[in-house]
Amino acid sequence: MQGFWAVILRDLKRIWAEPFRLISGLAQPLLYLFLLGSGIGAATQLGGGQYLQYIFPGVVALSLLFTANFAAISIVFDREIGFLKAVLVAPVSRPSVAIGKVCSGAIQALVQGVLLLIFAPMIGIYFGFLQIILFVIFMILSGLVFSAMGVAVATNFSSTEVFPVVLNAVLLPMFFLSGALYPLKTAPGWLQTLSYVDPVAYGVDLMRGSIMGTFYYPEWLSLVVLCFVGFILIWTAVKVFEKGEEI
Amino acid sequence: MSAIIEVRNLRKQYDEVEALKGIDLTVEEGEIFALLGPNGAGKTTLFSILATLRKPTSGKAMVLGKDVLKHREQIRQEIGIVFQEPALDDRLSARDNLMLMALFYGIPRKEATRRANEVLDLLDINDFANRAPRKLSGGQKRKLELARAIIAEPKLLFLDEATLGLDVDARRNFWDEVKKLSEKGSTIFLTTHYMEEAEVADRIALIDEGNIMAVDTPRALKEQVGGGLIRLNTEDNETVLHWLKQQNLEAEHSKEGLFIISNDPSSLLPSILSNIEQKVTRAEIRQPSLEDVFLKLTGRSLKNGESNDLESEKNEWVK
Repeated sequence: MQGFWAVILRDLKRIWAEPFRLISGLAQPLLYLFLLGSGIGAATQLGGGQYLQYIFPGVVALSLLFTANFAAISIVFDREIGFLKAVLVAPVSRPSVAIGKVCSGAIQALVQGVLLLIFAPMIGIYFGFLQIILFVIFMILSGLVFSAMGVAVATNFSSTEVFPVVLNAVLLPMFFLSGALYPLKTAPGWLQTLSYVDPVAYGVDLMRGSIMGTFYYPEWLSLVVLCFVGFILIWTAVKVFEKGEEI
Repeated sequence: MSAIIEVRNLRKQYDEVEALKGIDLTVEEGEIFALLGPNGAGKTTLFSILATLRKPTSGKAMVLGKDVLKHREQIRQEIGIVFQEPALDDRLSARDNLMLMALFYGIPRKEATRRANEVLDLLDINDFANRAPRKLSGGQKRKLELARAIIAEPKLLFLDEATLGLDVDARRNFWDEVKKLSEKGSTIFLTTHYMEEAEVADRIALIDEGNIMAVDTPRALKEQVGGGLIRLNTEDNETVLHWLKQQNLEAEHSKEGLFIISNDPSSLLPSILSNIEQKVTRAEIRQPSLEDVFLKLTGRSLKNGESNDLESEKNEWVK
């Protein structure tokens, strides 16, 4: 158990050593929110202001998705410099390392997401007490799933040059497909169908629903899908770490 | 004394290559044991299996009385490792690197702090305790890794080509620290392809192409070869060489002088000196090295690509 905490502690210490990363991590979601959002919003029936409110949960999801997944690059980096070997010959159980990595990625994503919440009142979103609790719970759940995704993928890579390229190629379609920037309800049928296999869509829908009060997917379905996907991904990550051979 | 490492008929098959071809080995408690061989001989594979990083294809390997396949976690609890490549967290301070490893070993925070201070003192690295590894020299990093390897007070310390890339001073310094640890009772298992480094060991196993060729003390290994090498410089090497050849002696001429291989160089040298007329500017006897032992057993040099024994001897002289 202490090994699990040590894995997380180390990652957090590293972030603390470079607080600039947190600030620069805000750039991408804020660009989507204020530049893209204002531009597209003005052309929609909703109008600028309401559109910003509409995509806000989507932009939070974007931030969670990218922060959590890119946090896993530390695994690839550790393997590249040989540090991973030093961790894996220490008496820390493989599940502790894998799950520790998932949690640390989720924490980093959550910090980033919470920083974004500061901008909510600027675009006219005022959370009620229950709303903010629900919103944060859904943020944590999404963050864990996204982070597990990064860890499961990262365990198969050994180059810090290839990994980000692959991540970008996977994450952007997932984000665009998720209904973060437009309602899935009015999207073309094939897009709606595709979005069913995109876990990001369920995260976005839960977060948006907690603000707007209406959900696109049934809430239970979103929760089940996210928990199931998260479980499978964490299980995969643990298995890869447990293989132990040829690290 | 009891066995700390016991290896029986250990094999490791990679896709196409058989890296270990049935290894038998016993390392006793408290000794410094060196695995010496050229690159690609199977050193790192054997090391990785013993350190629970790889699984053997067949055979048995017991470390600290525990099977490397069945009790990996328990073995990990009691060993410390310094890897070939540096494996430090570059962003954390040296002290935090130590603390982190202590926490991985399940040492409570307070105790971990005490242990970190202890190894910082022991290896005399307090000066850079608060600096990040990326700002340290190669030798300092290695020392820090040694400190990290012993922070959990392991019974057995693994050093895999631990001085690779270090300059001579840093290397000597590193081995001094290792010897200190050994005097305190640690068992040390090291791999190297530098024969000078293997000399620190109590016993050496020579490994080549996945087989152990010999296991013994450095002195006993060298006695196997017997004889030695004479280096001679005279005012007229050509003539002396001609004379030596006439006496049926195994001699060669090079830039550094004449080299004569003999079973009994200490009796041969005086007789040569009393029989030649040329003035002698230099005469030396060189005892056989581990290199010669390796050469005798395998027909190949420790240094990859060289197969001429005299050639490598001469290189030693030049150094």
